[in-house]
Amino acid sequence: MTSPAPMVALLGLPKLGPARLRALVETFGSAEAAWDAVRRGALGGVPLRTRLDARTALVDAWRTAAAAVDVEAILSGHMEAGIEVLTPDSDHWPPAFRDDPEPPPLVFVRGDVSLLASVSVAIVGTRRCTASGTAIARDLGEGVASAGVGVVSGLALGIDGAAHRGALRAGGPVVGVVATGLDVVYPRRHRDLWNDVAHDGVLVSEAPLGTAAERWRFPARNRLIAALSRLLVVVESGRTGGSMLSVDSALERQVDVGAVPGPVRAPTSAGPNQLLADGCLVVRDATDVLVALGVHVPTGRARRSSDEPPPLTDDAVTNAVAWTPTSLDDIVASTGMSFTEVAVRLTTLEVDGVVDRVADGYQRTIR
Amino acid sequence: MLAIIQSSSLLGVEGRCVRAEVHVGNGLPSFTMVGLPDASCREARDRVRSALLSSAYEWPMRRLTINLAPSAFPKLGTSLDLAMAVGVLAATGEVSEESTDGWAFLGELGLDGSLRPVRGVVPLVAALRGVVRGVVVADAAHAEAALVPGIEIRCAPDLGRVVRALRRETPWSDPPAVPAPSPPVSPDLLDVRGQPVGRQVVEIAAAGGHHLLLSGPPGAGKTLLAGRLPGLLPDLDDEAALEVTSIHSAAGMPVDGQLIRRPPFRAPHHTASAVSLIGGGTTAMRPGEISLAHRGVLFADELGEFPPTVLDALRQPIEEGRVRVSRARGTVAYPARFQFVAATNPCPCGPAPTGCRCSEAGLARYARRLSGPLLDRLDLRLHVGRPDAGDLLGSPDGEPSAVVARRVLDARQLAATRGFGPNATLTGHDLDTIAPLVPAAARLLEDLVRRGTLTARGVQRVRRVARTIADLADHDGALRVDHVAAAVALRVPSGSGVAVAS
Repeated sequence: MTSPAPMVALLGLPKLGPARLRALVETFGSAEAAWDAVRRGALGGVPLRTRLDARTALVDAWRTAAAAVDVEAILSGHMEAGIEVLTPDSDHWPPAFRDDPEPPPLVFVRGDVSLLASVSVAIVGTRRCTASGTAIARDLGEGVASAGVGVVSGLALGIDGAAHRGALRAGGPVVGVVATGLDVVYPRRHRDLWNDVAHDGVLVSEAPLGTAAERWRFPARNRLIAALSRLLVVVESGRTGGSMLSVDSALERQVDVGAVPGPVRAPTSAGPNQLLADGCLVVRDATDVLVALGVHVPTGRARRSSDEPPPLTDDAVTNAVAWTPTSLDDIVASTGMSFTEVAVRLTTLEVDGVVDRVADGYQRTIR
Repeated sequence: MLAIIQSSSLLGVEGRCVRAEVHVGNGLPSFTMVGLPDASCREARDRVRSALLSSAYEWPMRRLTINLAPSAFPKLGTSLDLAMAVGVLAATGEVSEESTDGWAFLGELGLDGSLRPVRGVVPLVAALRGVVRGVVVADAAHAEAALVPGIEIRCAPDLGRVVRALRRETPWSDPPAVPAPSPPVSPDLLDVRGQPVGRQVVEIAAAGGHHLLLSGPPGAGKTLLAGRLPGLLPDLDDEAALEVTSIHSAAGMPVDGQLIRRPPFRAPHHTASAVSLIGGGTTAMRPGEISLAHRGVLFADELGEFPPTVLDALRQPIEEGRVRVSRARGTVAYPARFQFVAATNPCPCGPAPTGCRCSEAGLARYARRLSGPLLDRLDLRLHVGRPDAGDLLGSPDGEPSAVVARRVLDARQLAATRGFGPNATLTGHDLDTIAPLVPAAARLLEDLVRRGTLTARGVQRVRRVARTIADLADHDGALRVDHVAAAVALRVPSGSGVAVAS
């Protein structure tokens, strides 16, 4: 077995994505030879997919970067940081990567490596989500994880983070796939969550230590999320965006796709609703996911006590308040009642826990 | 030979009485000025000398000393020129001491002896009320000076005319005719279509003097609503009108011969500096926008775009109704009892019609800036949505401002009978006295606090607003559930409208 060190060194180069890496390795036959060529700046004939002037700059940048790297020390550096480097030869190499159309050359892992082989569901969605979206993602994560199924997500703000939190709460298997080096916490607000996932689950990255967040790394990371899961659930997303790219990656890999239905006019549900219209799996709660996976569900459709539906309310004001924030003007206009009447009803509903007063109006309470 | 002439000088937005003591004595010819004159005031020596010579009076070739008493506070500007010139003439016997007795002199002199108006005539004259019988000012300043009641005003075009009038050789000049100012046009509520709650919140803000925050996407009509607020406020009473006119006069803004009776509306742009907003400055201590909005409305559009330092600086004046500006040359307090109205977008980009394009970090920063202690001081917080196209085109006209203003006036008069200030200034103790709650309303507030959707501070603010809502409904007794509920609904939680989950 050859040392993964040259490959690790190659992955640490700036602006080097899967396509360029493949070009380098295929041209020179091995990572070792490619690394040698990069160090010498002798990259004639390698298809780098760039303009001629940019190519010279890129080759120079690589040569400068490579000169500063000590290949011998690179593996011990990762080992000292508590990071395992998995290669396709490793025992723990995720089976899902074996017949992937675009497998990573190797991955960096911190935490319980065995989780990478477990049956998992990806729960993804937009960072710019609604309160309802985070609540759904959290409950999905919790429900799926408590049935022993892994939860894979990207540790991003919004839906991703909520799904991880739910899974951690259930103490189930949780896999965080990130786009940066495992020592670069991104987003920084998720430092605690990052550490929790590393401690109770596993963190995976395609990037070596010290790799900062760059735009192109996120779609590349999304393909790993899709690859590691049996089912990919989109909780909230716009019609375009990272989550919808993840869906494309999933379809490419014959991974099933599910989506959580949302209000038809909510921009945050445009993506999932489109997927549902296209015929993907409807996901209302964790049970839908577990049934789709064929996992035994011991509790049936039983709900936790806190999921008791709110007292049945059927009046003009309640009906005028949507699950997304609704402005007071709209509520008054659609009920035709006076502002004072509406205010009295809304405040009563707020006390009863049926609606929430939020920054841009009122919305139905999400449990 | 000594002459003492009354005048006044501007400090901040207040006039201070100043006596120009002019002494002409024996000795080598010289001219000394003492008593903390600033640069423009010290330059008076050259203006006074030339003005005297141009008006064909003699300049005494003796030892001349002018003391500006009281010497302790700095004298800024050119308002003392005329008093010094008259003092020199009185000290050399050109005019008699009796003729200047009981008169004060205000104005800047030109080298040709012409008499010019100065900034802040209203406060300068007001300061002399009760000190002298009358004031002599430039022709052009007569209309402004005449706004101050209880003091005689004389005017003259130049120094020569002043001297001849004092000698009773010619009469004082006739005050120039003042063109009747056109009545101020205030935008009318009639223009606001749809937005039933938006109209209501402006009415409540007007009736109680509550600070107001309007949030919502661009084009929702936040600025439109805020601009309608001054039109709903009652006219200023005599005292307030004189205060406001004094400040505007001191700021050098045109005061067209009438007291300012309508509450001012000031809308500084978010690029305005802290000094232009708060007041101060290196050369002249001018009042800032918040003082120009005294007894009126200060409107901050795009609140989130104002620098944090500026927003912080607004907190103290909002609380105290005045602002103290300390600079190297002294400390002055400006009145700044304004009603604060702020408008803000839910996020820095608007949100754009194609959806929000802000970064998470940008959103978090924006929310942080908006959710500070400043917002805590705003009693009324409403989110306005974009109105329906149907509402804009098809809905019937709402009530015009005049009708609403009538209700606002009635509510304010009802509040005034209780002997407290406007409802927005009620303290917790006052509220217990004049805003008791019926048991059901008290229970409602308790429930909200227990649920954690209302804070203890929020309860106070809600009670104040509820008092105003009850006043508008001509209800003087304990606050009912409907009053409290409406006040709760008009208080959205602070923070940006876009949720960034973390």
